[in-house]
Amino acid sequence: MKTETNNLSRRKFIALAGGGVGFAAIAGLGMNIDWALNNPEIDADTILKNTINTDVLVVGGGMAGLFAAVKAHDAGAKVMLVSKGRLGASGQTPFAKGIFAYDKEKEKLSIDEFVAKVSRSALGTNNQTYTRQLAEHSLARVNELKEWGFFESSLYNKSFSKPIEERNIPMHERVTITHLIKEDDRVVGAAGFSIDEQKVLFYQAKSVILCTGAGGFKPNGFPICDLTHDGTVMAYNIGAKVTGKEWNDGHPARGENPAACYDGWGDMFEQKPSTTSIEVRHDLGVDMNYMAYMSGGVAQMGRPGMGKQENSVSGGPYRPEEFSSEKGQGGPSKDGEKDGKRPPRKDGEDRPPRKEGEDGPPGKEGKGGPPGMGGGVVGGSSAGMSIHKAEGLVPINDTCESTIPGLYAAGDALGSYMAGGIYTQIGSSLSGSAVQGAIAGETAAKYSKNIKAHSISASKLNAIEEDILAPLKKEAGYSPAWVTQTLQSIMIPNFIIYIKKENLMKAALAYVEELRDHHVPHLRASNLHELRLAHETKNMVISAEMKLRASLMRKESRCSHYRLDYPELDNENWQAWINIFKAEDGTMQLEKQPFNTWATVETNSKVEFNS
Amino acid sequence: MKTQSYILRFSVLIITFIGMPLFLYFSGNFQKRTTLMETISIVTILGFSLLLSQFFTSRLNYKLMKKIRMVNVVAIHRFIGYLFISILIFHPFFIIIPKFFDNGVTPSDAFLRLITTFSSTGIILGLIAYASMLILMITAFFRFKLHLHYKTWRNLHGYLTLFFVIAATWHVVDMGRHSNMSFSIYYILMVAIGMFYLIRTNLFKTAKK
Amino acid sequence: MPIKSINGCIGCEECIKSCPTDVIRLNPDSKKAEILYPEDCQICHLCRMYCPVDAIVITPDKSIPVIVSWG
Repeated sequence: MKTETNNLSRRKFIALAGGGVGFAAIAGLGMNIDWALNNPEIDADTILKNTINTDVLVVGGGMAGLFAAVKAHDAGAKVMLVSKGRLGASGQTPFAKGIFAYDKEKEKLSIDEFVAKVSRSALGTNNQTYTRQLAEHSLARVNELKEWGFFESSLYNKSFSKPIEERNIPMHERVTITHLIKEDDRVVGAAGFSIDEQKVLFYQAKSVILCTGAGGFKPNGFPICDLTHDGTVMAYNIGAKVTGKEWNDGHPARGENPAACYDGWGDMFEQKPSTTSIEVRHDLGVDMNYMAYMSGGVAQMGRPGMGKQENSVSGGPYRPEEFSSEKGQGGPSKDGEKDGKRPPRKDGEDRPPRKEGEDGPPGKEGKGGPPGMGGGVVGGSSAGMSIHKAEGLVPINDTCESTIPGLYAAGDALGSYMAGGIYTQIGSSLSGSAVQGAIAGETAAKYSKNIKAHSISASKLNAIEEDILAPLKKEAGYSPAWVTQTLQSIMIPNFIIYIKKENLMKAALAYVEELRDHHVPHLRASNLHELRLAHETKNMVISAEMKLRASLMRKESRCSHYRLDYPELDNENWQAWINIFKAEDGTMQLEKQPFNTWATVETNSKVEFNS
Repeated sequence: MKTQSYILRFSVLIITFIGMPLFLYFSGNFQKRTTLMETISIVTILGFSLLLSQFFTSRLNYKLMKKIRMVNVVAIHRFIGYLFISILIFHPFFIIIPKFFDNGVTPSDAFLRLITTFSSTGIILGLIAYASMLILMITAFFRFKLHLHYKTWRNLHGYLTLFFVIAATWHVVDMGRHSNMSFSIYYILMVAIGMFYLIRTNLFKTAKK
Repeated sequence: MPIKSINGCIGCEECIKSCPTDVIRLNPDSKKAEILYPEDCQICHLCRMYCPVDAIVITPDKSIPVIVSWG
């Protein structure tokens, strides 16, 4: 690398200087421009193209994708499943160990009471229809999973493969989908590339189900570094409405080796999954972030016997009283049990029970942390992620249909508000994905029956191919890793994304816009791994802009959204969700949608609601 | 004098085929696993080095043979032979032992994956070595039931060994968990010397016997 | 380094497929898994758990301090 600078040939120099004004200027100053050079390992011009036809295209191989593919197939559609990673081994699914099943034989609460309880904890932010749907369908999905052997292993690829192989559903793994394709005002397919073979892939489909999960800023300490809101941003780019960007998942990590998410979760990733029953909490908020902010960066998490942790900081995010009791209903605990990613503990289990406020990154007692650990934790391990099921495509009805005909979403890719702007029912994330995946699959199959196959125009295919391969063709540019790191340093600090204030969010937004306008267009990639990173980075930047704009718009504090300058609930103005969409002129627009109403395809920014 | 001499020779054998691999094992910068797996690793490594020592506890080691009675040489050779085979016969199963202690891939799935990864040279060589080891064991066990002429037997056993050792060593050097540079050099050196003895004996000294 | 070494690889590609962040690739010459992009490792241990022969070693540290919300 170093030698190349010295031996930089004249021709290369000229080519480089012509590559971009910015780089030319730097080169003109006689600076070392080695860092910017793209040294492609593959020739973008020799990359092959492939077109695949199907009725229903399922994007994503997690819990939602599995059920979407299986149910669409069972409803008679020709299905194709595409995953950025491996079936059952990418996204958040492999790490989720608790799955909620509402069994009316065993539960004391009726479904109505359950929905009411979730709504109470969620302060009205949940979509009751989706909360109810979760309870109604969860047991059936869990029973199917049981049949496939899901509960017999800590690894899900085998059990997920079973129904897919039995049905001969074709599957493309390690394919990154980058574009949704819309023609005649409906979805007609998607495009992406393989990271193994030098291939651009076009999928012509009558309908597409996004099971692409949520995302973050490749934060450290939470296994979501492969999730970059790809689905949300692709859908946004073709005009879909998306929602839920102001909410936060407030997971912390250990102070020591914060990036080690496996170690942070103790041995949880090694556990077999199990079911959870009704346990409505008020979790994944930003209580700890507030505590750390007010006490100067110190978030001390007590352990039994290490002195009880007192929340000496007053104020902060509001938590409904009945959900802050000492037992059961969820104090500010942020350990593994949150979000259902830990099977419910039983008395006599090998793991000592955790107490409220014991918080912390989940540590494995005994083996996990260094001696005396249980103290320092740092925030932001899931930075960029909203609450499960609260962000993603806006549904227009209870069948996971988006604002674009033929486009569906399920699981964390659908802004169904099943749990609300705070995580409520333990284990509902995983079962919610199963439930919604199944419904989306059936609906998409039904829709596809009445739709004629569409041939995507050649000009569109060419334009998309250009766009996909652009980073490979750059003579020079910014590395995706650097842009991501820069984005992380803008967004992840506690005083930007968690303890929100108008002036700082505006400042961050200015930075993000800079990345969007002057860095993203210059992302470079020298191989397919970096090409994936480049597209992921692009999506993260858009997602950051969405988060900031939505957070600026919601001038109140509610659930996991906390504004230091607007610390109170504002029920008069904010019994509403925020939808984000791309206007005709390409700008990002936001609108309010009253709680428990359905979105319309037209923008309803003018809708008044004071009821 | 005579006693001392063969004690010395045995010490050399022990140092070369037990001391040396142990030294390489402990001096190498290997990632330590559980005590159980480390023990199994050591046993397997010694099993393999003992196999290599077989070249030198047979008729090939002319000098040793002259010092002690042939009956004893055969006894030692047979003992070590059955010992290393009984270790190495379990080698493929040893590898998947950790799968009994976690909730992930089942031991049977892991084993199946292990022995069916035909895209890997090392696995193919391992399978070949394993099969020829079984043949070696069976023919040795039923040596007298085969009613072979001694020379035919010796050639069969020798060349089968040669085939086995090449496949096994290649397999070990190619994919051994502990096959770093020093181990590889050690193995290849031992095999080279052994092969030299074997070929010399079988090709040039036949007339003498 | 997060994912540190692969010893005794049999080239079955389980880890390569199971890595959510595409850290590991098959070396075309040796036909064995190779840690190609360790900087993208999220230390989730899926590769290690999917490995049939217990070949992968992972440590909890990253080579550079990571960005967190406070520290």
